[in-house]
Amino acid sequence: MSDLGKKLASIAFDELGADYLLAMREEHGNVAPVMLARGQDPGEIRLDVPYQLVNILSNIYPWLKDGKVAVVTRRCDEKALEEFFKRELFDPRRILKIGLACSKEQVAKCRCSDPVPAKTHIGEPQKAMEKDELSEKLMAMPPEERLRFWAYQFKKCNKCFACTLTCPVCFCDECILEEKTFVPEPGIPPGMSFHLIRAYHLADKCIECGECERSCPAEIPLLTLRKLLAKDVKEIFGFAPGDRKTVSPLLTVLEEGCNEC
Amino acid sequence: MSDFNPTILAFCCNWCSYAGADLAGVSRLQMPPNVHVVRVMCSASVKGEYILKAISQGVDGVLVLGCHIGDCHYMTGNHRTAKRIPVVQKLLKDVGFDERRVRLDWVSAAEGEKFQRVITEFVEEIKGLGPNPVREVMS
Amino acid sequence: MARIGVFICHCGHNIASAVAVEEVVKFARTLPDVVYSDHNLYSCSEEGLGSIKKSIEENKLDRVVVAACTPRTHEPLFRRLCEQAGINKYLFEFVNIREHCSWIHAKEPNAATEKAKKLVAMGVSKAALLEPQVESESGVIPTAVVIGGGLAGLTAAASLVAQDIDTHLIEMEGKLGGQLNDISILAPNFEKSADLLNKLVSELKKSERGHIHLGAKLVDVKGFVGNFEITVEEEGVQNKIPAGAIILATGTQEHQPEGEYGFRKAPGVVTQLEFERALQRGEVPKRVVFIQCVGSRQPGREYCSRICCNTSLKNALRVVEAGGTAAIIHRDIMSYGAAWEELYRQASERGVAFFRYSLEDKPRISAENKHILVEVFDDNLGEGVTLHTDLVVLATPLVSRDDSGDVSRMLKVPRDKNGFYLEAHVKLRPIEFATDGVFICGSARWPSSAREVMCQALAAAAKAAIPIKRGKVVTEAITAWSDPDKCAGCGNCVIACPYEAIEIVDQDGRKIAKVNETQCKGCGNCVAACPNDAMQQRGFTTRQLSAMIDALVKRALEESS
Ligand SMILES: Cc1cc2nc3c(=O)[nH]c(=O)nc-3n(C[C@H](O)[C@H](O)[C@H](O)COP(=O)(O)OP(=O)(O)OC[C@H]3O[C@@H](n4cnc5c(N)ncnc54)[C@H](O)[C@@H]3O)c2cc1C
Ligand code: SF4
Ligand code: SF4
Ligand code: FES
Repeated sequence: MSDLGKKLASIAFDELGADYLLAMREEHGNVAPVMLARGQDPGEIRLDVPYQLVNILSNIYPWLKDGKVAVVTRRCDEKALEEFFKRELFDPRRILKIGLACSKEQVAKCRCSDPVPAKTHIGEPQKAMEKDELSEKLMAMPPEERLRFWAYQFKKCNKCFACTLTCPVCFCDECILEEKTFVPEPGIPPGMSFHLIRAYHLADKCIECGECERSCPAEIPLLTLRKLLAKDVKEIFGFAPGDRKTVSPLLTVLEEGCNEC
Repeated sequence: MSDFNPTILAFCCNWCSYAGADLAGVSRLQMPPNVHVVRVMCSASVKGEYILKAISQGVDGVLVLGCHIGDCHYMTGNHRTAKRIPVVQKLLKDVGFDERRVRLDWVSAAEGEKFQRVITEFVEEIKGLGPNPVREVMS
Repeated sequence: MARIGVFICHCGHNIASAVAVEEVVKFARTLPDVVYSDHNLYSCSEEGLGSIKKSIEENKLDRVVVAACTPRTHEPLFRRLCEQAGINKYLFEFVNIREHCSWIHAKEPNAATEKAKKLVAMGVSKAALLEPQVESESGVIPTAVVIGGGLAGLTAAASLVAQDIDTHLIEMEGKLGGQLNDISILAPNFEKSADLLNKLVSELKKSERGHIHLGAKLVDVKGFVGNFEITVEEEGVQNKIPAGAIILATGTQEHQPEGEYGFRKAPGVVTQLEFERALQRGEVPKRVVFIQCVGSRQPGREYCSRICCNTSLKNALRVVEAGGTAAIIHRDIMSYGAAWEELYRQASERGVAFFRYSLEDKPRISAENKHILVEVFDDNLGEGVTLHTDLVVLATPLVSRDDSGDVSRMLKVPRDKNGFYLEAHVKLRPIEFATDGVFICGSARWPSSAREVMCQALAAAAKAAIPIKRGKVVTEAITAWSDPDKCAGCGNCVIACPYEAIEIVDQDGRKIAKVNETQCKGCGNCVAACPNDAMQQRGFTTRQLSAMIDALVKRALEESS
């Protein structure tokens, strides 16, 4: 048992009283998610490989009839969990969080503006990144140039659906982007609506974990697109996803509802 | 540019804006022939997806018209319209479209003249912006 | 494959003067799924309808598109025609080429014709995807429940039993009558409120349709129009009352002006309702000063409570009548309407003194020996006045009851920013809540005089009787439904629905959204809120509307090439 594995198991099972532990582990040189029961050998736990464990959790949750799961959670994972709690898709009493503060390198990769978990169990809290350079560069461009930039990016898309499959806050089982109702182009690349609709769907949900961007084989800067819209939503409504107590402003009435006209 | 004849889509709610459009017709108010109305029950049923799809397919402009705030036939329906459309506009802007290609306005059943004005202004605006560049950049 | 028939109307010259109708007919024949197209001079005339019907039968059409005027007036006519021709009426699609085309592009025949083609193409593409619908019909429990046994509730209940409807009147107190129990005389006609109450109560008791529940606590309300279940607790026992309609008549409470003008600190300072009780006991002081707008029409509570000026006028007259003196210190006298204005005139003539203060300079109260001093800067005189009095009556507004939040949650009805219940539309749908089958009357809606309260109560009773007398509720098939295979149970739709018509239910261990069709009004808010395309509205499905966009794009491309 590695030291890290021991430490994690002790936090999960002794300190938090979990029945299961969801983390990343290296096996035969490959790092993959693993679900451990109390007493099982955690093996070579790896926390330096970013991965969407909440997405994994959402896939196995329906089969997990009872027991509490401790999950290694970065700040973004915490926020993803909040989105699940908000929709009553997870029972918050059954999910325990092992806070992982992301490394400086990781924070830089995600251009992360909110990298510190509510409670840090593992890692050293790092300073947030104030800005995403690509966002700034794009918004400083003339719009026509920006459109060409994105069009170039979107034309690289080969419709592999990695972005939707790895996204923790894509809740749907069937994706509407697979249907011609909204994406009429049958072939590759899909039309512009594929990316615009996906961005729109994430406007009130995206927790900026960067998983879509990491998983995109075409290397489309998807996280930047998310960040751009997130900034707008924050500016218009003062809303940011990742808190179970706040409802998406897109679903609710205006603040100053006037009914007297 | 003068022979640019834009194709424009308008979603009108059944209770106010569609009725307002009818009134404009009954009053024989003349306006440019570029706008094609789709009737929906409430402006709040207009999915952002429709607008994004239309713009992605090359429609030059999309109008969403509903009842004035407070007058929605479904009480607070249009509150959601009022919040949704700005997000769609911002997204379009973020990827480099001119956000003026999408416009939200309120037209009551009594505002035939306002309907005429909104249509006329919008067509002028879209003519000023020129053809939707999406087909060219995506080809 | 659908078999669509397209009929283009000339509407005499109305359409044909701008749109080349026959050209549009030819164009329609080229559209997918269209097997027949024709034109009519007037589609809606007997001749037009007859020829459409014949074409439907001869060509075995299964979808009908009429391009003519506006669905807002003519859709029912053509839907009926379809039914007569054996097609489900929801397989009809209307295209507006008059109001939305020929009339507004009268001088551009070419453009108008091209636009008409696009509109027809859009309508046809939607029509191909239309599906037959069954209008849902549900029964109505022939019972009404009235919540609150004040003047409003009593009036409504008495009217309902008079219409031979079983009516349960739920009153939380041990006694009927509400506020009127404390108010013996009612202006403007100085009638005895006891007479009014006794008459109503005896009408209710006399009828075997009336069921009075006293000391009854409202615990829960479930269901929807035609089929509510109201749980009421009486003497520790919970009973469920099934009902078809509900009238809310829970009244208000009087604002208690803690700390203002020495209220509850100095003797001789009371509220209007306390003064009414004193008058009822026969205690009439020699000198009375009324101060108006205590706690209303000021920041924090801007509204005018409407009844307080009139009440002060009434009670000042009663004091004067008994040989005393009375003064009213006000900001404006709001004696709206002829009868109340007459009361104001009488009060002035009988020597009631009026002083006007401003919000910036409120009257001040101090005690001196046996009497109270009231100092006020009168705006009209432009100078300060000091009044000696035995009693100060504070005219405070009626405010929403402390428990109105609970009641509004139970009934799922909205309140305004002051806590009063909010009807569906002040002008277009007063008395009704947006939630079908629930009605509002009396001062719970807004502070009102007894007469107004009774009018509202009668209106509410009449409205509540409609579904009960009809015996069924029919819903137009434009309601929403959620595809259980697609729904992720995210609950977006539940939040977005203005009518609380959707709930998340468990289906084989999966959480999915379920729309209650009787509650659904067909606004489509939920459709737009659903990320998953699971939520659909009948007659406006996302496939149908998307197909319209596709048709427009396609035609625009054809045109430009
Ligand atoms: C001081 C004063 C003087 C007035 N003088 C006049 C006048 O001279 N002339 C005139 O026209 N009007 C006058 N009014 C106005 C008149 O009294 C009211 O308009 C009328 O009494 C309102 O009747 P209501 O039934 O709406 O409300 P209420 O009388 O308040 O009755 C509501 C009833 O509902 C019951 N209730 C509340 N909540 C529940 C619940 N959850 N479950 C069960 N029961 C519930 C209450 O116990 C109460 O019995 C006066 C009002 C006041 C305050
Ligand atoms: S259509 Fe409107 S009323 Fe019906 S369930 Fe959807 S949101 Fe509610
Ligand atoms: S919004 Fe759509 S996916 Fe979410 S619960 Fe409602 S129907 Fe289901
Ligand atoms: S019905 Fe017109 S905006 Fe809702």
